[in-house]
Amino acid sequence: MASVVLSEAEKLYIVHGVQEDLRVDGRGCEDYRCAEVETEVVSNTSGSARVKLGETDILVGIKAEMGTPKLEKPDEGYLEFFVDCSSNSPELEGRGGEELGTDIANTLYRVFSCENSVDLKSLCIDPKEHCWVLYVDVLLLECGGNIFDAISVAVKAALFNTRIPKVRVLEDEEGTKEIELSDDPYDCIRLNVDEVPCIVTLSKIGYRHVVDATLQEEACSLASLLISVTSKGAITSMKKVGKGSLDPESIFEMMETGQRVGKSLHIALQKILDEEENLGTSRPKVGFLG
Amino acid sequence: MLTSRTFVRRTRAGAVVKVVREHYLRDDIACGAAACRLCPPAAANGSAPGPEARPSGPASSLCPGPHFLLPDTNLLLHQIDILEDPVIKNVIVLQTVLQEVRHRSAPVYKRIRDVIQNPEKHFYSFTNEHHRETYIEQTRGETSNDRNDRAIRVAVKWYNEHLKKIEDEEKIQVVFLTNDRTNKEKALEEGITAYTCEEYIKSLTANPELVDRLACVSDEGKELEGGKIIFPEHIPLSKLQQGIKSGIYLQGTYRANRENYLEATVWVHGDGEENKEIIVQGLKHLNRAIHEDVVAVELLAKNEWVAPSSVVLQDDGQNEEDIENEEEKENILKTSVNKDMLRPTGRVVGIIKRNWRPYCGMLSKSQIKEARRHLFTPADRRIPRIRIETRQADTLEGQRIIVAIDGWPRNSRYPNGHFVRNLGSAGDKETETEVLLLEHDVPHQAFSQAVLSFLPKMPWSITEEDMKHREDLRHLNVCSVDPPGCTDIDDALHCREIGNGNLEVGVHIADVSHFIRPGNALDEESVKRGTTVYLCEKRIDMVPELLSSNLCSLRSNVDRLAFSCIWEMNHKAEILKTRFTKSVINSKASLTYAEAQLRIDSTTMNDDITTSLRGLNKLAKILKKKRIDNGALTLASPEVRFHMDSETHDPIDMQTKELKETNSMVEEFMLLANISVAQKIYDEFPEFALLRKHPAPPPSNYDILVKAAKSKAIILTIFASFFLSFQNLEIRTDSAKALAESLDKAESPTFPYLNTLLRILTTRCMMQAVYFCSGMDNDFHHYGLASPIYTHFTSPIRRYADIIVHRLLAVAIGADRTYPELTDKHKLADMCKNLNYRHKMAQYAQRASVAFHTQLFFKTKGVVNEDAYILFVRKNAIVVLIPKYGLEGTVFFEEKDKPTPKLEYNSEVPSLTVEDTTLCVFDKVKVNIMLDDSNIQHQKMRMVLVEPKILGSDMPASLSAEASTKDEPEKKKKK
Repeated sequence: MASVVLSEAEKLYIVHGVQEDLRVDGRGCEDYRCAEVETEVVSNTSGSARVKLGETDILVGIKAEMGTPKLEKPDEGYLEFFVDCSSNSPELEGRGGEELGTDIANTLYRVFSCENSVDLKSLCIDPKEHCWVLYVDVLLLECGGNIFDAISVAVKAALFNTRIPKVRVLEDEEGTKEIELSDDPYDCIRLNVDEVPCIVTLSKIGYRHVVDATLQEEACSLASLLISVTSKGAITSMKKVGKGSLDPESIFEMMETGQRVGKSLHIALQKILDEEENLGTSRPKVGFLG
Repeated sequence: MLTSRTFVRRTRAGAVVKVVREHYLRDDIACGAAACRLCPPAAANGSAPGPEARPSGPASSLCPGPHFLLPDTNLLLHQIDILEDPVIKNVIVLQTVLQEVRHRSAPVYKRIRDVIQNPEKHFYSFTNEHHRETYIEQTRGETSNDRNDRAIRVAVKWYNEHLKKIEDEEKIQVVFLTNDRTNKEKALEEGITAYTCEEYIKSLTANPELVDRLACVSDEGKELEGGKIIFPEHIPLSKLQQGIKSGIYLQGTYRANRENYLEATVWVHGDGEENKEIIVQGLKHLNRAIHEDVVAVELLAKNEWVAPSSVVLQDDGQNEEDIENEEEKENILKTSVNKDMLRPTGRVVGIIKRNWRPYCGMLSKSQIKEARRHLFTPADRRIPRIRIETRQADTLEGQRIIVAIDGWPRNSRYPNGHFVRNLGSAGDKETETEVLLLEHDVPHQAFSQAVLSFLPKMPWSITEEDMKHREDLRHLNVCSVDPPGCTDIDDALHCREIGNGNLEVGVHIADVSHFIRPGNALDEESVKRGTTVYLCEKRIDMVPELLSSNLCSLRSNVDRLAFSCIWEMNHKAEILKTRFTKSVINSKASLTYAEAQLRIDSTTMNDDITTSLRGLNKLAKILKKKRIDNGALTLASPEVRFHMDSETHDPIDMQTKELKETNSMVEEFMLLANISVAQKIYDEFPEFALLRKHPAPPPSNYDILVKAAKSKAIILTIFASFFLSFQNLEIRTDSAKALAESLDKAESPTFPYLNTLLRILTTRCMMQAVYFCSGMDNDFHHYGLASPIYTHFTSPIRRYADIIVHRLLAVAIGADRTYPELTDKHKLADMCKNLNYRHKMAQYAQRASVAFHTQLFFKTKGVVNEDAYILFVRKNAIVVLIPKYGLEGTVFFEEKDKPTPKLEYNSEVPSLTVEDTTLCVFDKVKVNIMLDDSNIQHQKMRMVLVEPKILGSDMPASLSAEASTKDEPEKKKKK
């Protein structure tokens, strides 16, 4: 992951500021940076979203493909995550970013391992035979701190945007099955994203913790806690990152903050997604030129 | 402006993919109207002009003002014949419509493209899908069909508004033509002038003849009200496909029986062993399938299986209501048959793909006066009669016409169709030739300007550049030997002694691939034609005449480019060295077979060419012996030659072709060259060499031959030795050598023609020889020639396959460049398929031409009495061969108005007992031959059996025969 090198004096300045609930860019400890969300940015995906959170820039594309259900869950589809961060910095190019990519992908698997997060049963076409597999491809375009939160927001937005063509399974007397595709492009399945969690990363800086840390702030933090929160405030998973340790007391504090911040994050995101949806097809696309 | 079109598609592998195409909308697309000053002028690129400023179309009583027509997709698909009529002008074809047409019918698409290209017609194709104001997106809940209909309506509306803006005293209107009721209603609601095609065409008061050409596609539901339902319903396509997948139904190509209209076979396309034939019998089971359709059949239970009937039945009922009659006829088929003869039997349950084409034929005028509905009898007997509606029956009577099928409702005994074109009066030589070319799908139009533009400029001469990769062989004593009157000479030979006591033999083939470069229009046209078609008095060239009869033809005393295959041989005709090179030759003489024979036999002539010929002849004899020892078959098929009157071009005499020693001399060296080249290109390009194979026939093919031979032995004991040889044959037909030997032994001192008859029958047992790509097959054997590998190299002027072989060989010896298509085995395999088809069709056309000329010949001859031999015995007929004319005919023993003689058929022997006379295969009979022109469509050779006399039938005229062109296997062209 891209990192910045700070002098002791700079770090001290940041740490002291956080102590006073005054961050370098003027935010409070529980404030997010300004975020931009746009969906349907890559037309040949089933769903896509681009999220800019401060400097951080994430593109998520979801492709729905037909596959066979997993043996242990014959009546469900599944999600596959892949994170590519090669475009980020020279050291992550080629195979350099693989480790980080796998790390983030694994975190996403954990976040989505909760049964309710996505209705996987709706992805089943024909038990044991066919199901939809959603390939979630995350592209880290720019890393400006707090990538996990940005990625989770982008994934949720992309899932919201995902449209899977409706297929029907026709069965004749002999039991042979035939999959038929509807020729109306509007005839498609939408996913319910109400239960899709977002990650809130709380970075411990000095005695306090902040959300949405910038790169500089991340450099000052020894440990942070990733909490995935649903829109109702339920915590579905938790992970500690960083080399430092956290004492139980502050973990509870951080969880509380995470729930609170997460709920408002969900509300804000859903509002903006609905607004965009209502603009319909006439919405001028910003894309990468905007 | 950029927008994108998105759609979801299923790939063949079963995956669902989302496809996104960028779609650009413009606002500078011209409406095409010449009077329009608002649109940017169309680029002057020589394309056809759009609609006229003052539309000059025919006067319509519905819309008297100037108007453009705008048809929808279905209308275009069904009524293309009308739109092609010169009367219809100023039509706007929308891109939406064009795309849909292209999707649904490639032939119609090609036709409409041609019409648009024609500047006289003033058709304009408007790219509405890219026009900013006429592009629409599919809305929610709208099928793509509805969307396209809407797009068409939007375009019509736009046109009308756009044309209003033209400041002109008389407004041009756009008339929307659709046969779809809902679409028309919607259009009228939106304020668009819309008519059905029928309404519009009927309103063209000045051109009543157009109504005939309207395709009758009325709503199925409406039709069903009247009349009783004859046929079971067709199962819809989606259900058929499921059924085929699960194996309930079988998919196959429907082939109607030429001799019996109530029977057909379906060739199931399975992999390998499953490739089988299913018999379908009876009108209901045939269920409106037409020859060449791809159909789905359902197998019947085993106890309902039937045997192929040997009855000859022709559909000649005049009345449509005589269904009971049909049932009676069907019963004829169900006579008791041997259990072993039963074959899988099925019924047609649905049509997967119609393969209708316009059919040539004649009108059978209805007996009711003033009637408008008439039956049309196609020339091809496998096609059912077609009901058409016409008001010009009187003019069309006795004319050859073209009719297209529109549909076949369940309650109709015959399919419905419409009149397309009049070819000319029947019996007329030009017309008949046109008919047989059309019926055999032989491309015979004059070469287009684009094709001719690739011909070398005259005067042509050999340049320095040409000489670079060529050997100069002009000093050699090369000569060509061909049939008399041959102008496309593609081979020449030479033979000379070289110092070491060996002989140098060269075969020089016209270098056509030098003139026809891959990929250009000339090449494309040649590959489409595939072969030159020789009719009795006409040649349909594969390449333009400048090449075929001049620049490529190896005429004497001119320098010509050649591709040479040169061997060094010893006097035992063993090849010591083989060499291929591009060369320049100068033939010293163009001889006919007879002239060459004279030179060889002459004692006085001793010039270089004659010595060369003698050397060649000597070697050829050795080669031939070797080949026959290897098991090559010598087969016979009667070939006929006509002597034409030089003025009228009518045949005045008819002879079977005579073969001279020199024929086989040339043939032998051509075979050798072909084999050498085949080996070379296969060694060089094992994956994409174009070769020719002749598969060994399955033993069952010989059944008829073995049976026939046996029967002779049983009845005529003097053929004891012959009987034995056929006993051998029975076991040994698996090898060509055994067969060849058995045939050689089958001689009889008292019956000299027997051997030839047997050879003719053997020819009928053979499979077709075919071209194939070496990378797509592993059986290369040529059964007839007993050669492990074979190709065609020696006739590039008249066969396209040879051009490909030339190109391959040129690349192999480094004399030419390769190109991508040459090394693509799938493309090569596709090409082989086309070439095989063209060759087959060319042969059928040739036979049809011979049959026609035979009729012309007998027309002048009157009644002729000739010897004949029985070739086959059928249940109610015999097939005879008249050796003198090489003419074959079927003799019926039943006739409508006469009492049927007592017939007894024995399928074991096979023989047919008529009253007290037993007729069996190879029997010698005498027949009277005359032309029966009571039916102009199918003029028949009527034959009267003179000897033996049938007891109890004092009227021998009840036995009629007709000249028929049998599907005999391709006779081997050895050149």
